[in-house]
Amino acid sequence: MSQQPLISDREAYFLERLDRGDRIEADDWMPEEYRRQLVRLISIHAVSEIMGALPEKEWVPRAPTLYRKLAITAKVQDEVGHGQLLIRVAEDLMRPWGKTRDDIMEDLFAGRLKYHNVFHMATPTWADAGIIGWLVDGAAVITQGMSLSCSYAPYARALQRIVEEEGFHIQHGESICLALAEGTPMQRAMLQDALTRWWPALLMFFGPPEKSELSTNQLRNLRYRIRSKTNEELRQRFFSKYVHRIRSLGLQIPDRTLAQDAVTKEWHYQQPDWDLFRQIVNNHGPRSQERLGLRRTTYEEGAWVRRMAAQASSV
Amino acid sequence: MRNLDSEVYEVFAQSDSLSPHVHVFNVQASSPEMALVLAEENFFRRAEFVSLWVVRRDHIHHLGFGDRDGFKKTAKPYRTTDDYKYLRDKWRYYREHPMNPDADRTSTQGGHEHDFTRD
Ligand SMILES: [Fe+2]
Ligand SMILES: [Fe+2]
Repeated sequence: MSQQPLISDREAYFLERLDRGDRIEADDWMPEEYRRQLVRLISIHAVSEIMGALPEKEWVPRAPTLYRKLAITAKVQDEVGHGQLLIRVAEDLMRPWGKTRDDIMEDLFAGRLKYHNVFHMATPTWADAGIIGWLVDGAAVITQGMSLSCSYAPYARALQRIVEEEGFHIQHGESICLALAEGTPMQRAMLQDALTRWWPALLMFFGPPEKSELSTNQLRNLRYRIRSKTNEELRQRFFSKYVHRIRSLGLQIPDRTLAQDAVTKEWHYQQPDWDLFRQIVNNHGPRSQERLGLRRTTYEEGAWVRRMAAQASSV
Repeated sequence: MRNLDSEVYEVFAQSDSLSPHVHVFNVQASSPEMALVLAEENFFRRAEFVSLWVVRRDHIHHLGFGDRDGFKKTAKPYRTTDDYKYLRDKWRYYREHPMNPDADRTSTQGGHEHDFTRD
């Protein structure tokens, strides 16, 4: 007798569709587990875009030139826009549960919904704003580039729009970092300090490495074609794409063990502190509480605007 | 004279699941079901689609050119990558001539920033 759990005919047909390369739409039948995984992934992505606007927003009033101020304002607006797009995708998926965007925000404030580790970090200098654009958005595009092939069509379509704008964000960040790298010794030191500060967080961004075995969650998401690569594969791509560029600016990566195997091409590196990672994403990072507090206050103070907007149709 | 039994339906089709629905044309029909039949017959005798929408024209709200008249007058280079085209050459240059970590350099390549520290 087979030890496999039984799956229904409907689910078997669903998996067959995925294997054919079919993409799923919001009103197609889907296994509840598929819906749950997507809602979790897309809500985390959505609130990370929204919380991700905050570290850079701190630099809008202090940007060094008018041009930089306009550009970083445009980027911050884009990030909030990405959040809006993704919240719509999540809302359509949550409809059978009777849930809306209010539930997403409540889950965020209550700590039930996490946002990406990088957006819990402090941004003490202008170079941090540059590193976010260049390397944090760079890391995000590696993950989102994978998700372009996600089996859920509305998410894939949202990501096409998002990734296109990320291209602008990355170049905006590169431009800031190159200007600092070519600048005064003080500016170069500021850039080096920012890189040193952000390096562990950048590695954490992709999530803990898989040991020999994948978690059931990951296996399920691979089976559902929600994702196609492991955390470690994505992190390896990040190294291949950026280590050389970082070093070409004469910057030092704070990891003496970092090296690429000449034969396997695999990067060896110092693991970041994964206990610290878990603390950070559980809202005990350097700026977690301040940023959540700001988001909560803004949400509460904006309640009357949402009320008015909801009534606008009956005016 | 307008035929009161008919309405104009605008037709939108999606050629594959990653593409947006694109406006195709319109049909006159007495019901949405009829509009779908006519749209398929009129526009998809050859081409394929994965999704076909019809929308009654009077259900569409639109912004016209007039509403956007002033929009194009403001240049928005800071929202695009147009001003960042120089980056490619710089990356290529530094790939071939990596900066020295301890170099005491002053900018000769025209970055945007002036000497800057946070207060
Ligand atoms: Fe974004
Ligand atoms: Fe971005």
